[in-house]
Amino acid sequence: MTVPLGAFIAVSAALFFIGAAGVLMRRNAVVILMCVELMLNAANLALVAFSRRSGSIDQRGSVFVVFVFVIAAAEVAVGLAIVLSAYRNRPSVDVDGARAMKG
Amino acid sequence: MYDFIEPVIFGLLSIGIIAAAGCVVLLRRITAQALLMAFTFFCMAGMFLLLGAETIAAFQVLIYVGAITVLILFGVMFTKQDERAYALFFQRQTPWAGAVVAAIALPVIILAFSFPDGVPLAPGGDLIPLATSLFGDFAFPFEVASVLLLAALVGAIVLVKRDDDEEPTGPAGEALP
Repeated sequence: MTVPLGAFIAVSAALFFIGAAGVLMRRNAVVILMCVELMLNAANLALVAFSRRSGSIDQRGSVFVVFVFVIAAAEVAVGLAIVLSAYRNRPSVDVDGARAMKG
Repeated sequence: MYDFIEPVIFGLLSIGIIAAAGCVVLLRRITAQALLMAFTFFCMAGMFLLLGAETIAAFQVLIYVGAITVLILFGVMFTKQDERAYALFFQRQTPWAGAVVAAIALPVIILAFSFPDGVPLAPGGDLIPLATSLFGDFAFPFEVASVLLLAALVGAIVLVKRDDDEEPTGPAGEALP
């Protein structure tokens, strides 16, 4: 027996909401970046599951997963650069203290 | 005869993904969180293999488990992580945020289980259809994505670069010897 499509989508939804809860609840900027990566990866799982099980010949969902990989890499690089440059001005990665972004 | 193997592997992988992701959200030790995030990505690569998408699984291990985890660990090592009292974690908006997310998540997850099953797995790997789409119809977005990566590279360097006329200071603003 094969695993039904709904099970993959349920795992994807669970991981997405765990990541969303982390983004809303944590205050460490690096942990927030990690949780955003978890959410992007959950979207990847849903895309691949639909693409492989929809019976389409060209499987375009997997192409979008490649683009999500690119966006995730760019996002984490620029995000960490912003965290590090903010850390140079105010030595903390706590996002609650960074309400005032004006220098 | 070996029909039961695939659901068992799926169950183990989903338990690993959800438990490790929950620990990423709830733990307070930043290095353990980063490594558990890498474990989550690794289990996700197993999910992609279970779906027959070997190329995506290879990309997942290379980019997420390799590159992004190392970048996050660099970010952890370059910044001082203050270990606050645990009581501060449960500030005012935290229970509200958790309740709102749970209220949205539970119906969605229950609905997801009832998703109608599609056709069984397409035969063959995903390398040839992926490459045909990526370098055929999606050739222009592929090139735009490479420009985006270049822009992110330049932007990250510009953001963390110090101005030359500044006094050299440490990460906390103290003067270097």
